[in-house]
Amino acid sequence: MSKGKRIKYFFIVPSIGWVLAFTIFPLLYSASLTLFRVRLGKPARFVGLANFARILSDYKMWNSLRITLVYVAVTVALQVLLGLLIALLFHQEMRGKSIFRALLILPIFCTPVAVGYLGLTVFYEEGGPINSILMSLLGTKIPWLSNPFWAWVAILLLDIWQWTPFCFLVILAGLQSLPEEIYDAAYIDSSSEWEIFRKITFPMVQPVVIIVLLLRLIESFKIFDVVYSLTGGGPGTSTEVYSLFTYRTGLKFFDFGYASVLGYLLLAMVMVVVNIFFRRVREVYE
Amino acid sequence: MGVVRKRSKVALIFRYVLVGIILFWALFMIYWGVVTSLKPPAETFTVTGLSVPFIQFRPTLENWRTELSVRESRMSLVNSIVVAIFATLIAVALGIPAGYALARFKFRRVKNRDLTIWYLSQRVLPPVVVVIPFFLIMRTLRLLDTRLALILVNATFVLPFAVVITRQTFQELPVELEEAAAVDGCSEFAAFWRIALPLAAPTIVAVIAICVAFTWNEFLFALSLTSLRAKTFPVYLAGAEDTRGVQFWFMATRAILALGLPVVLAVAIQRYIVRGLTFGAVKG
Repeated sequence: MSKGKRIKYFFIVPSIGWVLAFTIFPLLYSASLTLFRVRLGKPARFVGLANFARILSDYKMWNSLRITLVYVAVTVALQVLLGLLIALLFHQEMRGKSIFRALLILPIFCTPVAVGYLGLTVFYEEGGPINSILMSLLGTKIPWLSNPFWAWVAILLLDIWQWTPFCFLVILAGLQSLPEEIYDAAYIDSSSEWEIFRKITFPMVQPVVIIVLLLRLIESFKIFDVVYSLTGGGPGTSTEVYSLFTYRTGLKFFDFGYASVLGYLLLAMVMVVVNIFFRRVREVYE
Repeated sequence: MGVVRKRSKVALIFRYVLVGIILFWALFMIYWGVVTSLKPPAETFTVTGLSVPFIQFRPTLENWRTELSVRESRMSLVNSIVVAIFATLIAVALGIPAGYALARFKFRRVKNRDLTIWYLSQRVLPPVVVVIPFFLIMRTLRLLDTRLALILVNATFVLPFAVVITRQTFQELPVELEEAAAVDGCSEFAAFWRIALPLAAPTIVAVIAICVAFTWNEFLFALSLTSLRAKTFPVYLAGAEDTRGVQFWFMATRAILALGLPVVLAVAIQRYIVRGLTFGAVKG
C-alpha cells in the first residue's frame, strides 16, 4: 500500500460525498424531526421530547415491537439451523450436486413482494394447493390468512423459504474450505459422526455461521415487503411488523415526527445487535 | 469435495429422498406461480394436485398476453428497468474507485478498515428509518413520483456492494502489475483504468448483477416516493389487487414477471453470490 498520494482522494471523495448527502443528511434531518410535531400542510411545532414520551403509552407500537422481536428470533434461528443441516447434507459426494445447488439458489433473489403474492395463491384457503393437499391427506384445512397465528406462520414460512437457501449456500462454502486432512485423522480416532461434528466441524465452521447469523438478524429487522403483500399486517394488527407500523404512521397518517422517533428506535435496536458482533466484523475487514 | 466414506445403500437412498424433498420445497412456489399463470382463469383452482401442464390442463399464454397489453404494466416495467440501470451506473461509477482506493492506498485520519465498515453500515440501516426524511426532501425538491428520486435512493442503497466487493477483489490482484506500469511511466489513474479494472471485470459483472437485482426488488421507497408515473413493477404488482379484486391468474403472471429477471441474474452469477451477499466475509 502506498501512502500520501493525492489521487486516492480523487477516487474516494465522490462516494463519501454521496453517502453524506444521501444517508447522513437524511438521518440528521430525521433526528431533528423527532423534536417536532410535523403534519402535512401545517407548520411544524416544537414539542421537545413529547414524541419520545408517546412511545411509552402506545400499545400499538409495543404490539408491533413484540411481533417483530419474536418473529426475528424464530425466523433467524430456523433459517440458520436448517441452512446448516442442509449444508451438511450437501457436503458429501453426490451426483448432480452442482445442479441441485444452482436450483436451491433461485429463491434468494426473488422479488420479496412477488413472493408475498405467490404466497397468497399458495396459501389460499379455499382450494389453494396447500389446503387441498391437507384436505385430501388429513381431511382438514388451515385458516392461513384469516387466523392471526396461522397468518404469522405463513409469513414465517415464506421468509424461511426465501432465506434458508442463502444460509445453506454460505455455510456450505464455509464447510468446503475446511482442510480434509483433519477428517482423515479424526476418523481414525473416532467413528461417531456426531462427535466429529461437535468437536471438529462445528468449531471450525462457527465463524461463518456467526456471519450468516449477523446478516440474517440485520435483514430480518427490516421485514416489510412480504408482510405488506401477504397479510397487509392483518388480520387486525396481528402481523403488523415494526417497519409496516412505522411506514403507516409516517406515510399513511403523515405523523412525521413520531414516525422518525419510531425509526430511530428501530435503528437503535439493530445497532445493539451489530455491536454484539462488532469485534468479529472488524476482524473481517482488517 | 467432501469426505469419502463407505455408506450403506439405504443411507444413500435416504439422502437422495431428503434432497428431493428440499428441492421440491424450494421450487414449489415458483413452479406454482408459473403453472397458475399458464392456466385458463376458470381453471385456476379446479385443476387439482400438482397441476401438470399438458397432462392436467391445456396451457395458454392468454394471461401473459392480457397482462402485457395493459399500458400501466408496460410502463411500470420500463420504469423498473430505467431505475435499475441508472442506479447501478451511479453505484458502480462511485463505488469501484472507492473500492480501489481502499485496497491500494492507506488512509490515515480514518483507517481503511473503518471506512469500509462505514460504507457497509448503509446496509445495516433499516430503510424505514430514512424513508420519511427522503419523502420530505423529495417533496421539497418536487421530485416525488419521478424516476430520478428512485435512482438517487437506490444508488445509495446498493453503493456498499460496489465498494466492499470490489475492494476485496482489488486486494487480491497482484499489486506488482500496477507497480511495473508506474515504472514505465504510467499514471496512477491509468494503472487503475487500464490494468486493475480489466482484471477485476468478472467481479464487476457480478456487482452489476447484484445492484440491478436489489434495485429491481426494492419496494418500500418505490411505494413511498411514487404514485402514478414513476411506479416500478413491484409497486404496480402491489396495487393491482385493489382495483379488480383478487385475480389469482393475473397475480401469478405478474409475480413471475417480477421475479424473472433477478432469478436469471442469480443463476448467472452464482459463483459470486456467497462472496457478494456476505460482503466478502465468506469466500465462496
